[in-house]
Parts: sequence; structure tokens; C-alpha cells
Amino acid sequence: MPIALMSIGSRHRVKAVKGNDVARKRLATMGFVEGAEVTVIAHSAGNYILGVCDSRVAVDEALAMRILV
Amino acid sequence: MANIKIALAGNPNCGKTTLFNDLTGSDQYVGNWPGVTVEKKDGRLKGAHDVVIQDLPGIYSLSPYSLEEVVARNYLVNEKPDAILNIVDGSNLERNLYLTTQLLELGLPMVVAVNMMDVVKRNGDKIDATRLSKSLGCPVVEISALKGEGTREAAELALAEAKKGVKGERPHVFTGSVEHALAHIEESLHGKVENATSRWAAIKVFERDKKAIETLGVPADIISHVEDHITDCEKEMDDDAESIITTQRYNYIQGIVGTVLTRSSRRASTSLSDKIDKFVTHRILALPIFILSLCVMWWLAVAEKGPGTILTDWANDGFLGDGWHLPFTTHACKVDGKYKDMEFEDAQGEFAKQDASKSKWEETYKESYNAKNGEGSYDKALEAFNEKAKAEFKPEKEGDEFEASEFEVLDEALAKTVVAKDVFVEDEETGEPVAKECDCEKCSKKREAGEECDGCGCGCGEPDKWDVDYAAYQKAKEWEEPDPSQFGVWVPGIGALLGDGLDKLGVGETVKSLVVDGAWGGVATVLGFVPVITIVFLFLAFLEDCGYMARVAFIMDRIFRKFGLSGKSFIPMIVGKGCGVPAVMAARTIESERDRRMTIILSTFIPCGAKTVIIAMFAAIFFREMWYVAPLMDVIGIAIIVLGGIALKKSRFFAGEAAPFVMELPAYHMPTFGGIFHHTWNRVKGYMLKAGVIIFPACVFLWFIMHFDWHFNLLADEAIEQSMLHDMGSWIAWFFAPLGFGSWQGAAASVSAEIAKEQATATLGLVAANMDGASTAAQISNLFASFGDFPKLAAMSFMLFNLFVPPCMVAIATTFREMGAAKWGWFAIAFQLFVGYALALSVYQIGVLIAGGGFGVWTAVAILVDLWVLWTIFRPARKANGELKLENGK
Repeated sequence: MPIALMSIGSRHRVKAVKGNDVARKRLATMGFVEGAEVTVIAHSAGNYILGVCDSRVAVDEALAMRILV
Repeated sequence: MANIKIALAGNPNCGKTTLFNDLTGSDQYVGNWPGVTVEKKDGRLKGAHDVVIQDLPGIYSLSPYSLEEVVARNYLVNEKPDAILNIVDGSNLERNLYLTTQLLELGLPMVVAVNMMDVVKRNGDKIDATRLSKSLGCPVVEISALKGEGTREAAELALAEAKKGVKGERPHVFTGSVEHALAHIEESLHGKVENATSRWAAIKVFERDKKAIETLGVPADIISHVEDHITDCEKEMDDDAESIITTQRYNYIQGIVGTVLTRSSRRASTSLSDKIDKFVTHRILALPIFILSLCVMWWLAVAEKGPGTILTDWANDGFLGDGWHLPFTTHACKVDGKYKDMEFEDAQGEFAKQDASKSKWEETYKESYNAKNGEGSYDKALEAFNEKAKAEFKPEKEGDEFEASEFEVLDEALAKTVVAKDVFVEDEETGEPVAKECDCEKCSKKREAGEECDGCGCGCGEPDKWDVDYAAYQKAKEWEEPDPSQFGVWVPGIGALLGDGLDKLGVGETVKSLVVDGAWGGVATVLGFVPVITIVFLFLAFLEDCGYMARVAFIMDRIFRKFGLSGKSFIPMIVGKGCGVPAVMAARTIESERDRRMTIILSTFIPCGAKTVIIAMFAAIFFREMWYVAPLMDVIGIAIIVLGGIALKKSRFFAGEAAPFVMELPAYHMPTFGGIFHHTWNRVKGYMLKAGVIIFPACVFLWFIMHFDWHFNLLADEAIEQSMLHDMGSWIAWFFAPLGFGSWQGAAASVSAEIAKEQATATLGLVAANMDGASTAAQISNLFASFGDFPKLAAMSFMLFNLFVPPCMVAIATTFREMGAAKWGWFAIAFQLFVGYALALSVYQIGVLIAGGGFGVWTAVAILVDLWVLWTIFRPARKANGELKLENGK
């Protein structure tokens, strides 16, 4: 399931990040890699705030759909 | 040893610049969002001048995506500092160590400084620095850059490492077949690349990073030789090479973090930061909250009777002007006679009454005289009287000159019969009689409570009118204007002191005019707005430091996405609230070249600190009762960005989808008083410096071309129409005529605003000096009244034009530099000029039409322009151009 569909406050382990482009590499350097623990902090009209490692990262919906948990 | 270079490297927003400032004693800008530093900065270590500390833009990894990351990577990889001081955010160890493992592979002497130890300790967590040091194979120190704890040790440790020049045992990040492949690649690279960097080169070859391979100069035969190893490895791990590296790196780091970090059990599941985020990024409330915060800022800065206005009035009329009373010391303690024991304000009120009696009676007398002796007879009689008096005039001492009388009672008998009816004091704003205030207990109480008093039977609240006869006139004549310096503790203003000082020196009128009206007048106009911009900057510093501004980018993303920009483009626009120059540079954080160009064009539409001055001046003079005008200018700025963005995106230059939006949001924290004060002071200082360095010479130059004609003859004040400035302004005034301020004054102010935006206010003050009016504000008000029948519309149009045309010349130069190509620079200017002109034209022409000013050629032009603009916004979008794909880190 994409993390975009998960409820606020839930915690998940990343199974995979789809695609193979700059955005995926970018997500990887921010900590979105296989096995990473991600929390859904908030979402606001298509944008998401995700907790990964110990930081808060804002991503748009298209990206949130690509992070599979 | 020559200069030792120590580079500060680390994730964005981990405190590099704070550490840099602490080590070097400099004053670089620090903000609580990622990407504040976009350029490498050098400074010398305090107390050790052969050590250069270098602040680099923050990076998440050594594979850069945006321009400012390229700056950092290129420096570290190609120029090689003597040592790297890697700053690691202790409260986010895992993500930060990702970069650390990459930096270690560069083979440079390195020290890891774990920052934000105060936050870590507050959370109740523990970091085992010794163990971390052992795992990473390099020295580790704990610091708190904000508090200056351990920073010196970190720098000295890095210095020691640099002098040793050797690196320790590198950690074994990779395992199994990956390590095997890497070792093999490293072996084949032996002798082809520098030994120290062989690990880094091997990984880059493994990742098939073409750019890095090119820079390292790895021969093509080696690449093809090792390709089989890479493919084997990919097959075995069922993943692409790059992901394998990333994943193994994270696995390794998780292992380290597990052993060195002891997490406190009492940690709350959702932090306060997350709770605030749920609120301020709320689906519906987010935007209202943002606009509300803008309104609060502007209320503080320019609202009538708000703190900003009170301070500005004091700065303009008091501190920089004639002088001011210390608070609560306005009691007449030094004067005897009429004003004895009065408060200054009451004395002024009393004088206004007496003055009204005097002038009204004199007027009535003149009318009666003319009625008795025929039209114009009074003026003739007064002339005859003055001539006679001049002939009889004997100077009492040398230098005395005859002064003609402006009013004389020439017919005593007539005077006794003259009574002026219904004399009143005009209210400054409405021109109506001021209301009566009686002293009865009931009314006084009501007034104190701030209520209007009426209907208590004593006439309170009714227009205050009275009659004046000859006897009353003679008494009224004796009242002299109260001298403020005789009341309480009076502090003379700089303007007054300057005038007095020049008088004492005995300089000529011309020099006095140059200094007082020209140079000082202009500079004082600009300095008078220091309170306003201080409040705006204070508020901005607070929002930036606490972390809210990064959320604004997040909120704006969904709006910006509609026209194909990401929320990241809003960061430069936030910076642009302070100044357009760093704003244009801040666009470097945007990955896509196309989006970056568009952001540069649009970001200066946000009214900057200097434009704030124009807004403040016009809000104070023309829109006092319209509190929403000032925040409206920010909203218009954002609206232009959104609509302009939509229109640009539909043009063939910018077509394409928005880049994906990924941005780290810093944790909220309560800003320190010192930090906010520091930010604000730095910006205000820059503003005041500009008043001296740019506004001062510009005003002297303007005064010069305003007071001299083309043959360099000094002109009298009345002959200003022959001046060079008048002619120059007149040549281009036609350009501004459709906007409602097509006079030489309006043209001169608008053109000079390109020097620096606040120059518009200084120039207006200068060119309006010949207008009627007691204060600069009144003179400017009269200046706009002279432009036509709709002074408020002309004022609005002037303000809009100067806010939304191309920024000042420094920002324009920065735009050209950051665009990289002159053609894009010109494009930006043409676009901005069109927007500013079209906006001012539409508001003025359509405003005039609505106000009943009739339909003219320019009204038609304005409507046509608007229709065309609407078409560019609403026409169907173009398909993306193939060549304009997202450009990856070059």
C-alpha cells in the first residue's frame, strides 16, 4: 500500500520506493529507503508531512503514492 | 604552514552557519529552514589567522540535485580542504550519518562534531561519542553551536587532524558481494586516481555516476572491465547498483546508531511540533492563518494608532525633525503668562481657537471694508499704508530691514462695528468644526471611557462655534504660538539642530538648502521609516526562527503546484520579504533550471523591506482609514506570482510539470531573544547604511539638478520649472500620464526608485517641498492633488507601479547574474515592467471610470490589456517540451 493511503499517526516500514529517477534518489538521501520506519504526521489537501529517521519531511501526493509500505 | 582550510559540511539546517559565526565572529545569516546558505563563505578562525573556516551549503549526500548542493560537492571533491569538520545533528543521527559515511570515503582528514547536544540531552537521549568515534574511525566531539559549547575544541581537533594529514581506519560500510566488487574496482583503479580518493572513485564507478567518472578521469576500458562485476552484484541483490549502495549504507548506519544512541523511554509519541503542524497545515485553516499573520505584521507596522505609526510620527516629526517632548513631561513649567500651568496639547488647542478668532475677524473686517469703500479698496489702502510706513522706516540697528504689514486696522470706527460670526477651529481631516468639550463631570467621565458624549444638555459634542468682536480680536491677537521647548523636557530634533548649527556657522541660504532640504531631507524621509521596517523585520525574524516559514512553503505548494511550480519556490519569496537580492539567490535551492528561472522572475514581486517604506508612506498619507491596504500589497504580490506563474507556464518557455516536492521541515522552537534581535538589527543596519551610501548621494544629486538650470545657474525656489530635473522629468512624464501621475515629479520619483526603492519616498519629499503644507505628508498629499481629480487613485497607481515594476538596480544585477544568460535577464525585466505598468494602468483607468471620470482612449487600452492578460492566464495549457526535462545535478 502507498503511504499516502495510511491514516494519520500510523507507523510503517518502507517496503519499496517505486520509480527510478532523481526524485527517488532524493527520497533515499532523506531516509526513505527499504526498511526505514515512516510515520504519517499530517496531510493537507494532497501534501503530506512524513516522519522519517528523526526528521519531518514534506512531500507531495505523487511522491507519497510511490512510497510503498 | 600556509593557510589551513577547514570546511564545514553537513545536512541542511544542522547548524553549520551558527558554528561558522561562532568560530569566526562573523555575522552570516542563519535561518530555521533548509537552504539558507547558498554560497560558500570564508572566514578566519578567531585567534588563529592562518586558519580559514569555510561554510558550505547544506547537503544530504554527495550526489547533488540542486545548484547550491553542486557548490558544496564540487568544493569538497575537487578543491579538497585540509580537513572536513562534519557537523551532525545529534537529534537526527541516522539521516545525518548518511552524509558522514560518504564524506569519510573522500579520504580527507575529518572530525565529526555532534551538534544540538542540548536538544539531545533535553530529550533525555544519550550519545556515546567514544563508541561513535571508534565505529567511524575519526575523532568525534559533542558541541552546541548555539550556546558556543565545545565549538573551539572541535575546531582545534580539526586543525590537529589537518596538520597530521592522515586519516584513520575507514569503516566497513558495505558487505558481501558489494564489498567484493568495490574492492575489485578499487584495485583496477590503482594508479589511475589519487590513492586517498580511490574508495570514493570506486563507489562512483559502481553507481555508474557518469558525471563523477568524467571528473575523476577514469579510463573507459576500466569501466567496461568492471561492468560485469556490477551486473553480477545487481543480479544477486535484485536491485540497481545505486539503490544497493544506498540501502547498505543505511543498514550500516542503523547498526551504528543502535549501539551509540540510547533513546529515552519517556519520549512522547507525538511531539508538540507535530501538534502545531496539524493545526497550521490544516486543509482549510492553513491559508487563513498565514494571511492573518501578515495582517498582524502590518497592523503592528502601519495601522493608525498602532505602535509603528506612533513610532514613525515620533521619528519623523520629533527625532529627525523639530524635536519632541519626553513622555509625560509636557507641563508648562518654564512659561509665565498666557500658557502658565497648561499642558502642551491644551496650549495648542487654545492657540488654535485664538488663531481662528484672529484670522476670521480679519477676513470679516476686509469684507466690511471693501463693502463700505468699494471692491479692492482694502488692498489699495494697505499698499498705501505700507509705502508710507516704508518711507518713515528708520532702522534701529544695522541690518534691520523693513517688513511690510500683512494686515492693518485702517478704519478704527468701522472695526468697532465688525463682528465675525460662527468662528470655529477646523478639524484637520474633515474640515468640519471640532466638537465642543465641556468640563462637567458627566461628560469628562464619558470622554475618559472613550465614549462620545452627547445629550447631557451642556452642548457637549455639538460643533464648537463662537462670535468675535473687535475687543475679542484685540485680545486674540496677543496670543503667540506656544513654543514646545518651553513645555516640559524638550529634546530638539536632528533637523532642527542641523538648521541651527548651519545658521550659527553663518553659511549661505543655498548651502543651507542643500544640506537641510536636499541631503538631510531625503535621508531623513528614509530614516523616518526605520521603526516600520524594524517591526516588519522583527516579525519576519520571529516567523523564520521559530520554523513557521518552512511550513508556509508546504502550504503554498498545493497552490503553486496548480501552475507548475513547487512550494520550494516560495522560500525565495519569503526571503524576498526582507530583500530581493538574497531572494533571487535563494532560488538556487530549486532543482529544475526552468523552475528556478521562473522563480527568479517572480520572487521580487513580494514587496521587500525597501518597498515596505513606500507602502508605509502611502498608507499613512492616503489610506489611513483603510487598514487593509498594506497587507493587501503582500496579497497582490502573491496573486501576481500565482497568476504570472500560470501565464508563464502556458508560454513555450516554461511549459512542463512541477518538480516533485520534497522538503525537510525543521522542528519548531522558541526563538531566542538574542537571535531575533541579531537578525533584525543586521537587516535594519543594512537599511540605514543604504540611507548613507546610496540615498544620501542620490539626494544631493537630485537637489542639484532640481535647483540648477542647464546653464548651471542657481534657481530661486519659485523658478523650479526651469530646473534640469523638471525638464528631464517632463521628457518622460508622458509614459506615466495614463497611470495618473504624468508630471515631472511623478516621473522623477519613479525613475529614481530604481536606484533603491525607498528613494521614491525621498524624491517625493524633495520634489513636493515647494507645495503648500505644513509637513512633508501634507505636501505630498497636495502634490498628488495637483495631478488630477482623483488623487487617491493616482496615489494607489503610483504605489502599485513602484512596487511591482522591476526591483532596484542591485536586484536587477543579481537577476542577470543568477539567470546566467542576458536574454533571460531582459526577459525578466520586460515581464516585470509589463506587470507593474499594466496593473497601475488598470487600477487607475478603471478606477477613474467607476468614479465617474469618463471613458477615454486609455480606458479602452486598459480594458484590452486586461482582456489579453486574462487570455494568457486562462488559455489552454501547452504540452511540455521534450528538451525542457528536469535537469539533474550538473
